[in-house]
Amino acid sequence: MRRFVSQGGFWVGALAVIAVALPLLVSSTFAIDIFIRILLFAFIGVAWNLMGGYAKQLSLGHAAYFGLGAYTSTILLIRYGVSPWIGMLAGGIVAMLASLPIGALCFRLRGPYFAIATIATAQVLMLLFLKFRDFAWGAEGTTMPNLGDAPLMMQFDSKAPYYYVVLVLLAVGLAITYWIERSWMGYYLVAVGEDEDAAEAIGVDALRIKRNIYLISAFLTALAGTFYVQYIYFIDPNTAFSFNVSVEAALVSIVGGIGTLWGPVIGTVLLEGTSALLQSWLGGGHGGVQLTVYSLILIAVILYRPAGLIGILTAAYDRVIAGTKRANKSAAP
Amino acid sequence: MLTTIAQAVVNGLLIGGIYALVSIGVTLIFGVVKIVNFAQGEFVMIGMYISFFLATSFGIDPLIALVISMLALFFIGVLLQHFLIRRVLALGDMPQIFLTFALSLLLVNIALLLFTANYRTVQTAYSETAIHVGAINVPLAKLIAFAVAMLLSGLLWMFLHGTDLGKAMRAASQNRDVAMLMGINPDRVYCVAVGVALALAGAAGSLLMPFYPAYPLVGQNFVLMAFVAVVLGTLGNITGALIASLMMGVAESLGIQFVGADSGLIVVFGMLLLTLALRPNGLFGGWSR
Repeated sequence: MRRFVSQGGFWVGALAVIAVALPLLVSSTFAIDIFIRILLFAFIGVAWNLMGGYAKQLSLGHAAYFGLGAYTSTILLIRYGVSPWIGMLAGGIVAMLASLPIGALCFRLRGPYFAIATIATAQVLMLLFLKFRDFAWGAEGTTMPNLGDAPLMMQFDSKAPYYYVVLVLLAVGLAITYWIERSWMGYYLVAVGEDEDAAEAIGVDALRIKRNIYLISAFLTALAGTFYVQYIYFIDPNTAFSFNVSVEAALVSIVGGIGTLWGPVIGTVLLEGTSALLQSWLGGGHGGVQLTVYSLILIAVILYRPAGLIGILTAAYDRVIAGTKRANKSAAP
Repeated sequence: MLTTIAQAVVNGLLIGGIYALVSIGVTLIFGVVKIVNFAQGEFVMIGMYISFFLATSFGIDPLIALVISMLALFFIGVLLQHFLIRRVLALGDMPQIFLTFALSLLLVNIALLLFTANYRTVQTAYSETAIHVGAINVPLAKLIAFAVAMLLSGLLWMFLHGTDLGKAMRAASQNRDVAMLMGINPDRVYCVAVGVALALAGAAGSLLMPFYPAYPLVGQNFVLMAFVAVVLGTLGNITGALIASLMMGVAESLGIQFVGADSGLIVVFGMLLLTLALRPNGLFGGWSR
């Protein structure tokens, strides 16, 4: 994987150029909307992957941080007129603060216990926000005030700026992952993920490592929450703390390849791309088709490619490289 | 006031019996096969749809359909273990959790495609009947469901303690390697364990049908509760799961009565998080199975 990135620097650059140019080439708002969703879920997947992929702490409750980010910026915007750009950072900080007690509670648990406990924390937050009628609009939710084209308030009159916002978010997420992968923290993380007891035995403070990575993961997930409610102009507890967010974050990473830099991106392109194609083929009103296909893909990946689809890509890439080398060798007598 | 509390406790105990069937299934699979079945609620849903179609197409009472849905789900369970779960047993937590998780997604969405999101109900002669004990109102359908749930739990206990296969199952759950050395075939034991667990979920579905609507997502109401009960009652401990399920039912019912209609789950999840904080191994961690 590491080789894939360093040798593939060219490809990453090419990908970045394509990603930046895409809204200029494609004018269909439907298509841009799909691209935004792909980038957003790739970003959430990247955030989840830090926790679930590298540290192998299987969280199924990342909706908690998504929702906290969404609600913090919305409350600041509507109650106090604070720009969502600031609200986004505030949401990230709230999510980090929330991750501390949640982590303290859940980190003593392993595997399935941990997954169940994280589901419960996200559900409790959703139920609490359903109860807070005066403070957070309860079950009805609220719409964002429409300020027209107000870039300083994270509102734009076309889809392209939203696209670039979420593209930057994803780039930041990938850069952080890339940096962590190469730092001492990354090695500790992988050690904890592989075997927590063995890591502790050689002097890794597993609890501290898990807490730190959870802080980063929660922060990033909250940014996605703010972006999402700004993008759809609406918030309610069922959207903000949707179990689907938790699930999708994990799904895209697993399908792409957990604990790898590009895994969540590959997984999202495949899953969201498939779902967009299905939608355009079948039209709306076919509830269930999309998730049926998702779950079939997931089952197939788990049974046949437990390391994720990224393995197929790296293998193909290696073959191409080996092929060119051999060709060069035979060409130079 | 006292009547209100008593009524809430009775309601909670009765629905707790259903929770018990679901959570005993989860804990049985975890105890023997060592995986958490996130799809257990969906098998309750399948049991409900089986009973619904038997009732509407052939006029079969859900209590009789119970036998059919239990057999059907036992069979599905054996296939599930043999063709899917068996293949991820050596792979670690992540693929195991996500396999059953994907299965849950798959079943919900297939149900959505086949049966739409509409609520389906079955009216039986006893659906609206209630017995009055003093000031307390006991709905007959729920009382029957509770009684049958307790009967099935008792039968399972007798099976696990009184038959060779049951003993083999308990042996495999205590120590798989030693059990294999003693000549126990783990694959067969695993198939039976998953089959029995799914049959219990199917039974829960049939028992619910006279007083609870069937819809694709119905399983989630029970599986979340079952997870809490299973953790509270210590993963793998069947008696623990049974007692914890009844407690959860009562806690939820009291929460609905005294905190608000939407607060039953807050009380339940609060209990879960409190337990995890104070006794991460559950209330029955020290007990033997």
